[in-house]
Amino acid sequence: MENVIELQHVYKAFKGFELKDLSISVKKGFVTGFIGGNGAGKSTTIKLIMNLLKPDSGTISIFGMDYKKNEKEIKQRIGFVFDSNIFYENITLAEMKKIIKPAYRKWDDTLFNQYVDMFELPLKKNLKTFSKGMKMKASLTIALSHHAELIIMDEPTSGLDPIIRSELLNILHNLMQNGERTILFSTHITTDLDRIADYITFIHNGQHIFTKEYYKIEEEFAIVKGGTNLLDRDTEQEFIGIHKTNHGFRALTANKQRTKNIFGDTVIIEKPTLEDIMLYTKKGEERDAKSYS
Amino acid sequence: MLNLIRKDMILQKKTLPFMLLFLFIYLFVNVSTSWVAIVFCIVIIMNAFQTDETSSANLLLNSLPYTRKEIVSSKYIGALIFIFLTLLTIFIGNWMIHREIMQWEVLLFITSIVMGLISFAFPFSYLFNSKYLLIGFGGVFVVYMVTLSFIPNLNDRVREVVQTVLSLDNSLFYIGIILSVGLLYVLSWILSIRIYSRKVF
Repeated sequence: MENVIELQHVYKAFKGFELKDLSISVKKGFVTGFIGGNGAGKSTTIKLIMNLLKPDSGTISIFGMDYKKNEKEIKQRIGFVFDSNIFYENITLAEMKKIIKPAYRKWDDTLFNQYVDMFELPLKKNLKTFSKGMKMKASLTIALSHHAELIIMDEPTSGLDPIIRSELLNILHNLMQNGERTILFSTHITTDLDRIADYITFIHNGQHIFTKEYYKIEEEFAIVKGGTNLLDRDTEQEFIGIHKTNHGFRALTANKQRTKNIFGDTVIIEKPTLEDIMLYTKKGEERDAKSYS
Repeated sequence: MLNLIRKDMILQKKTLPFMLLFLFIYLFVNVSTSWVAIVFCIVIIMNAFQTDETSSANLLLNSLPYTRKEIVSSKYIGALIFIFLTLLTIFIGNWMIHREIMQWEVLLFITSIVMGLISFAFPFSYLFNSKYLLIGFGGVFVVYMVTLSFIPNLNDRVREVVQTVLSLDNSLFYIGIILSVGLLYVLSWILSIRIYSRKVF
């Protein structure tokens, strides 16, 4: 299967934060949900993919091309939505379009107007008067009006109400129908991904934890509940992270079948949510840090 | 790249009519034309520069299909266009109001001064931020006022020097000025591209 985005052994260090040996790929024709906590490195990774940052080492290729030689060609084919408004505030959407349109070879006015109508966006009002939802819709309109093959969204749903979020997800779902488009969607509101993501890429503390097909996550991972008497030094190793209370424990396993074999009927096994996976990965890490010290 | 210059024009559209109004008022009051022209050129050029200095504007421009080289170059070429347009306006204004035609030496003098100042202002602003430039200008102004208290006729002397320079009838001298200002501008351009390429947003 063709990869649209490919990062290989990418390192990028800042003061107090680094991406370590990041190798991820995003498959053509699918929605990849990009998850991780605040400060996990999602935005940094997206900036690397957009060539807003350059890696200290490692290679990044988009559509099989690299930014050194084909920067403009790559960006022609990308549509982007950031979590904050990046448009000039003192002009109208119509003026903003006038500024952006000539940058793209494949700009489509009909498409633009279609989205403007659909989102009921005012063309003649200053962008600074737009609400957060409207700004996101304006961003999306611009991102979708030049037939981008790859759409990159950095936390587009943060700060939006459920109605607008749901609207956005519907639109993204419809966009995927022709199979030519690829979407990379970063978020920490993981429930957004239930509806549209085909793949999930999870990073934590600047490291790639996994990239999996969404349905496989439910097959492999599981939340296990049981009495604390079941836990000892060996059985604890079965879990990524454990949460203990007086009544028992709740833990995440990455190998549902093995856990079933070990514990049998003594535990309850449930489907995990993406949030569980994020949470218990962090917990497990804290535990490991403790046991090492 | 022309698109980026056009973008600066669109963004300046709202302030330009006001600028034009002020320009004509100044021309009426009969302040030194060179002085007015230099101030207006700098204000317009730096205003255009500032709108793109925010992190969101940088995020936008760098996400669009432009290279960093083009983004910087658009500012340098745009500055030349702004200088040309301002001088043209002043030239026409002067002719309409005072019925006098500006000497080409004066135009050259203004252009050289503005290009010289921009050659320092742009790389400095790319490296730090243009708001420090304003503070710097404030500092220079204070120094100027202090100097003025020591040499009371400083203004006259400056005027004299400018007059002497302008009355020099030596084409070799002018060519020298054009070449050195041009060279300074190009070096500043290259330096700015280097600084901007390494920026992190």
